[in-house]
Parts: sequence; C-alpha cells; structure tokens
Amino acid sequence: MPHDSHDHDHTEPPSDLALRVKALETALTRKGYVDPAAVDAVVDTFETKVGPRNGAAVVAKAWTDPEFKQRLLDDASAACTELGFSGQQGEQLKAVENTDDVHNMVVCTLCSCYPWPVLGLPPSWYKSHAYRSRAVIEPRAVLEEFGVSIPEDKEVRVWDSTAELRYLVLPARPADTDDLSEEALAELVTRDAMIGTGVVQA
Amino acid sequence: MTNSVHDMGGMHGFGVVEHEDSEPVFQEEWQRKTFGLMMTSLGTLQVNLDHVRSRMESEAPATYLSLGYYDKWFLTLEKLAIDKGVINRDDLTKLAMGEDVQLDREVDPIPAEGMLAFIATGATAARQIETPASFKVGDQVRAKTLNPSGHTRLPRYVRGHIGTVIADQGGQIYPDSNATFSGEGPERLYTVQFQATELWGKDANPKDTVCIDLWEPYLEAAP
Repeated sequence: MPHDSHDHDHTEPPSDLALRVKALETALTRKGYVDPAAVDAVVDTFETKVGPRNGAAVVAKAWTDPEFKQRLLDDASAACTELGFSGQQGEQLKAVENTDDVHNMVVCTLCSCYPWPVLGLPPSWYKSHAYRSRAVIEPRAVLEEFGVSIPEDKEVRVWDSTAELRYLVLPARPADTDDLSEEALAELVTRDAMIGTGVVQA
Repeated sequence: MTNSVHDMGGMHGFGVVEHEDSEPVFQEEWQRKTFGLMMTSLGTLQVNLDHVRSRMESEAPATYLSLGYYDKWFLTLEKLAIDKGVINRDDLTKLAMGEDVQLDREVDPIPAEGMLAFIATGATAARQIETPASFKVGDQVRAKTLNPSGHTRLPRYVRGHIGTVIADQGGQIYPDSNATFSGEGPERLYTVQFQATELWGKDANPKDTVCIDLWEPYLEAAP
C-alpha cells in the first residue's frame, strides 16, 4: 500500500463520507470502471425488485405444493429459479425446514452473507455485531428478544454461513390456514420467519 | 487477517439485537451509491469477493467496530481502488474538496444490461475437483487448531472442536487461496454439525447445534 504509509504527509480527506463517495464515484466513472447507469440499475433492483416477498412466495408454494416442497429441499436454487428467483448470492441456496423437533436460524458470524435473490439485502440487525456474536452462543436468548420462545426439549439449529451456500428457513405453516390461498399464505410469511428469528402466525 | 474482530461468533458484550420490523434498504444516498459502486466495479477492478472480505477485515479492530456497515463497504472500496492503482489518496482528497484531477479512461465499464444479467445469474463458487473426499456423511471430524496470518473462513469458535459431517458440498473455491489472488485452489466443502455443549460447554442446551460449512483443509479425522 504505497500511498497509505504517507497519509500523514497530506491533507486529511474530508470526514464527510458523502463527499468521499462522490470523489470515488467520479474517479471510477471517468476512468471507465463503472457506468453510472449500471450503478443506478443495480441499486434500483435491490430497492424495488428483490426482497423478502420473493422468499414468501417460495414458502407459500412449498406449503401448498408437496412436490415443489421436495424440490426446494433437494435443490433450493433450482426450485426458486422455477419461480423466477435466482442469481447473485443465491447460486447455492439451501432450504432448511422447521419441524416439530427442530427450529432453524441463520447467521453469518464473519460478515453478512444472506440469500439475496429470495430475501433481498439483509436488514441492519442481521449485520449487527450483537446478532453476529450472539446467534451462535445464545440463540435462545436472541430468539426471546424477537418474541420467539422455543421449548427446552426442541433443538435450535443455527446455520453459520461461512461459505458460499446461502440458507433459507422454511417455516412451519400455521394451523387453521387450510382455507387460505397460496397468495394469502404468502402475505403471512415474514422476513424474520425465513431467517429463523420469527415464526409465521395466522 | 484471521484472528481479527470480524470473527465475532461467541463474543459477549454487544448488547441486545436492535430490531426493526421494516426499514429502508438504504438509509442515505451515499450508502446507495456505495453499494452500487461496489457491485459494478469489482469486475473491472478484477477483485474477487474473498479478497473484498479480506480487505474489509484488515481494518484495525477498534476501527472495524466503530464503523457502520456501509462505512466499511466504502472504505474497503476506496482501498481496493487505491490498491489497484486506479487513483491515489491525494487525488481522491482533491476530488472530495472540489478540485479537479486528471482522470483518463482506462477500461470499459460493464453496462447496465450486463450488470443486471450478472445479478440474475450470479457466479457459482462450486468447482469440479478430482480429489476423493476424505470424509463422508456421519464421520466425526475435528476443526483444526489453525491460526493462519491470512484470510480464512474457519471461525475461532469451532477450532479444536469435534462435530459430525452432515453434507458433502463438493468442490468449492477456497477462500484462503482466492483472497490473495493465489488461484481458486478449490477444495471440498463439508457442512459440519457441532453440539452446542461441545462448543460452549455444559451450560448450553444439550439439544442445540450449530451447523457450519468448512473446507477440507480445516478438518481432520476425530478419533
């Protein structure tokens, strides 16, 4: 890092991050490393097109279509692609099913790995030091803070996303929802339920 | 860097998880820009994700903890642009203060259609490898006690502990190698399940487990 060692000789960069981002944007754009239209298109995709409604549609379909559910558990990337949800940070998706015996919960202790095509970008709390540090050592205490109580005799299984596999929790379908359509079921599915810090309620 | 503060699984002291039911995807315009710039420039800067992570982790621990999420992204992208010789810090400072500097076009950017296509298809880290698997589902394995000086995805909290292989995930790009541009060096990846009591001691719930994806060089057979 030839430049870093001489930092003290020079004018300090402005503390205002917005100005520094603008400066870097100018440099990357004028040197040809980024196309501003591509920057806008990428941001727009993650603000408006990709998000937890995608995952909710996957979950609702799995609840209503046993064959789809099996495909989802066998190869979640392929199953989600059937519904049009695929791509970056979802190339190797794994769906993990909540059952009577197991409650699943997903974390990335080392950074912020998250299944973008089905859940969008992670919420602030998922990236927080508190969640990253505590989810593996005291998952039940974290779940209590989210209002989720898991019985002592039921396993809490935490998935730490250390590699390029991305985990999606398939929550349990709430009771008394037999009369609901797939679309109505999808409305019930929350982002947190697909991370494992929530449960779906009717 | 390996034993740095980004490896925070199992630490105490960070308080409750501040939780909002919904929030905007980005809070500030500069955060939107930072995300977009990172996503669109990694290809032209010829930087892989493992390298990005390794640079992000190289912040001093106190700095790392004091920075917001997109602050870290931005400072990392700034470092990458400087590392790659796109611009130096003096010129960045001048630009930020409203001065102009000479910036000649060096490469062709990835256009919007290309970026959207890439987002929609992604790029898998899975790789074919010829080496036979050393472990199979059901095997007991120990996460090695390793303290490499470079990037690794072997968290401290599993080192030295015994778990059970629950899945063979095939060959995958090996981050410890890829992060330093030393080649993808694919290695077999396993999902290993550890009992919470094995990791955290007798006060943990005996039902609870942690599953974590670990590459073959991180593992040894457990007796």
